[in-house]
Amino acid sequence: MAAVFPSKEWLEALETRLNSDERYAEIAKNWEGDLFFFIEPEGNLKERLTFYLDLWHGACRKVEYQPAPDSHPNPTFTLTASYNNITAILSGKLNPMTAMMTSKLKVKGSMGYMMRNVPTVLDFVRVAQEVTKEIL
Amino acid sequence: MQPILKINLTTAQTEEYIVPERWTRDFLGGASLAARILYEYLTPDLDPLSPEAPLLFMTGPLTGTSGPTTGRFVICGKSPATGLWAESNIGGFWGPELRKAGYDGLWITGKASEPVVLWLNGNRLEVRPAAHLWGMETYTAQEKVKEEIGVKSARVCVIGPAGERGVLFASIMCDHGRMAGRTGLGAVMGSKNLKAVAVHGEGEIPVFDLARYKVLRSEANRKLREDNEAKVLRELGTASAANYAEYLGAMPVKYFSRGSFPAVDEVSGAKMTESILVGQSACQGCVIACGRVVKLPGESVKRKGPEHETMVGFGANLLNDNLPSIVALGELCDRYGMDTISTSNTIGLAFSLYEKGVITKEDTGGIELNWGDVNAIEQLVRLTASRQGFGDLLALGSKRFGAHFGAEEEAVQVNGLEVAYHDPRGVSGMALSYATSPRGACHNQSDYFFVDWGHSREEIGIEFMDRHAQAEKAANVARHQNWRSVDNALVTCIFANVGALEKADLINAACGLDWSVAELMRFGERSWNLKRAINNRMGLTARNDILPKALLTPMPDGGSAGFVPDIEGMLFAYYAVRGWDEATGKPTREKLTDLGLEDVARDLWG
Repeated sequence: MAAVFPSKEWLEALETRLNSDERYAEIAKNWEGDLFFFIEPEGNLKERLTFYLDLWHGACRKVEYQPAPDSHPNPTFTLTASYNNITAILSGKLNPMTAMMTSKLKVKGSMGYMMRNVPTVLDFVRVAQEVTKEIL
Repeated sequence: MQPILKINLTTAQTEEYIVPERWTRDFLGGASLAARILYEYLTPDLDPLSPEAPLLFMTGPLTGTSGPTTGRFVICGKSPATGLWAESNIGGFWGPELRKAGYDGLWITGKASEPVVLWLNGNRLEVRPAAHLWGMETYTAQEKVKEEIGVKSARVCVIGPAGERGVLFASIMCDHGRMAGRTGLGAVMGSKNLKAVAVHGEGEIPVFDLARYKVLRSEANRKLREDNEAKVLRELGTASAANYAEYLGAMPVKYFSRGSFPAVDEVSGAKMTESILVGQSACQGCVIACGRVVKLPGESVKRKGPEHETMVGFGANLLNDNLPSIVALGELCDRYGMDTISTSNTIGLAFSLYEKGVITKEDTGGIELNWGDVNAIEQLVRLTASRQGFGDLLALGSKRFGAHFGAEEEAVQVNGLEVAYHDPRGVSGMALSYATSPRGACHNQSDYFFVDWGHSREEIGIEFMDRHAQAEKAANVARHQNWRSVDNALVTCIFANVGALEKADLINAACGLDWSVAELMRFGERSWNLKRAINNRMGLTARNDILPKALLTPMPDGGSAGFVPDIEGMLFAYYAVRGWDEATGKPTREKLTDLGLEDVARDLWG
């Protein structure tokens, strides 16, 4: 089930899909880590957005839409990008590795863990792209 | 610009060479200026191991200024392995020290009658006897030189036994294991009976507008510290992308015959960080610090950890998944003074031919070459460095080694330089990089694999394309090569993610120029074409722009199984973009003239 980005429904659709996608489950079976997203206002987004996802061994255990910025003090990864860059990734116009390598997506956390798990990162993006019906 | 010190080892004469101002403006420094200076001396009949052959240690206009990764210098000449243009970029602290001594380059010709060390202390040059150092491995020799000259802060470039014995891929080392690895310039240095060059200086390095440069430098370094790629390199070293490369099928496995290496987790930058890493090391002024300091299990001594090429070359390439052994093999090459890429590639060819029955135990002196056998690999490294028995053939490099056994086409090399460890079947831009680089199969001119991984550079017209795109990528590759020519002139590190406008600003402040990004790229294009023309004069033609058979054979497994780059189609498009003549492989007269290389155009076209 796809939804409009950004919305609570989109995040919940992502959670549902991550927990039902067999390919993701296989590729991400060793992943242990939660993600806190800061999406900075730009274009159609007028105020900062936050997302939280707890990813564990190929499943998504929890999502939160618009959590307080300090609600999760030590996530495994904190990812920050502008709205235009995030939506470019979701629409396939910006390669996620390009976003990371050119610092369009700022990453705080163990880069070693990230680089070791590039297939998981890429497949997570695939699933996120597939649940995106429309971008505001 | 500061003078270049010319030294003739035969006569012991020295001379300060003042670079013509027009050349300083049009070629800046580093490998570009070296190419302009050496252009008339690099002739087809020049024996690279003769006294007449030049060896030019060149800094760039930013070397030693503590800008973003500006601690590097480059060594240039004619390669004994390829017979073509040779340049080898090297980090550490030696380059900045030379500039503090008051010189921007050291131009060495001739041959000393006995082994010597050159000791340049400020503007005082001493030629010191070094027969007692001949045969000594690099790390020990370096410390001995410093002890004997009595200046602890001196920086030393040194060769090992491999350079002394003329191994065609012998390297030159400085500082804590920083290597000028490729193209065999260690053998050139050895042919001159030159064991080491020590330098010390206390002068100020000239910068045109120091106040402005300091502001730009500070901002560039601040941004570089926070850059994602820099963070990855700091945390994991250059072997950080091992898992990603393997996933793409871009990591050569079993001498370029396979595309999947399930044991990659055991021999990656991440594994090194988790298991044996005890620190990082950096070149002068560098905020990235990609160098690895490790301790092997059960040992207390600190060692240099492997970078990507050594990790793959002695790892997946030879089906070896033992990380400590890769550390030891890399160090062995460093101590002997041999390029780890060429060493491991040539050994990989030996293993491959042994498996195919082309080589037998009779050829190897009784050593069985079974994939992954670390003892066999180590024996071959030692034999190569000593040029004993089977090693004497390995010391010639993969092309000549393969030819000796009637299997030259099996060697994975281009023009006599062994292919590095980024497979063009996984990252297709490397097909053009390897085929057209001025020094043979070079993975740094350009390092297009970075672009294929995702690092686009839109500000200079390099957008991201699918990693298996082909002829449509030609213009991108050409632009990236021009971009890297800028880095090789400055001399800066390819790992520094500094934007084009930032780079132009730094150059303008350091050199008193007023270049735009377009002028920066034009400069890069001029440099690239000059090096091409040097090679054309030395006999390079369009027929030299090829890939070896292995890279045109589809891999049976991995993330790029079945794909082969259409090198002919890519080259056709590339020549058109470059403005090169298809029949001869030479830049056209119009192209050379347009780039301000009128004299080169006359030489090539009459």
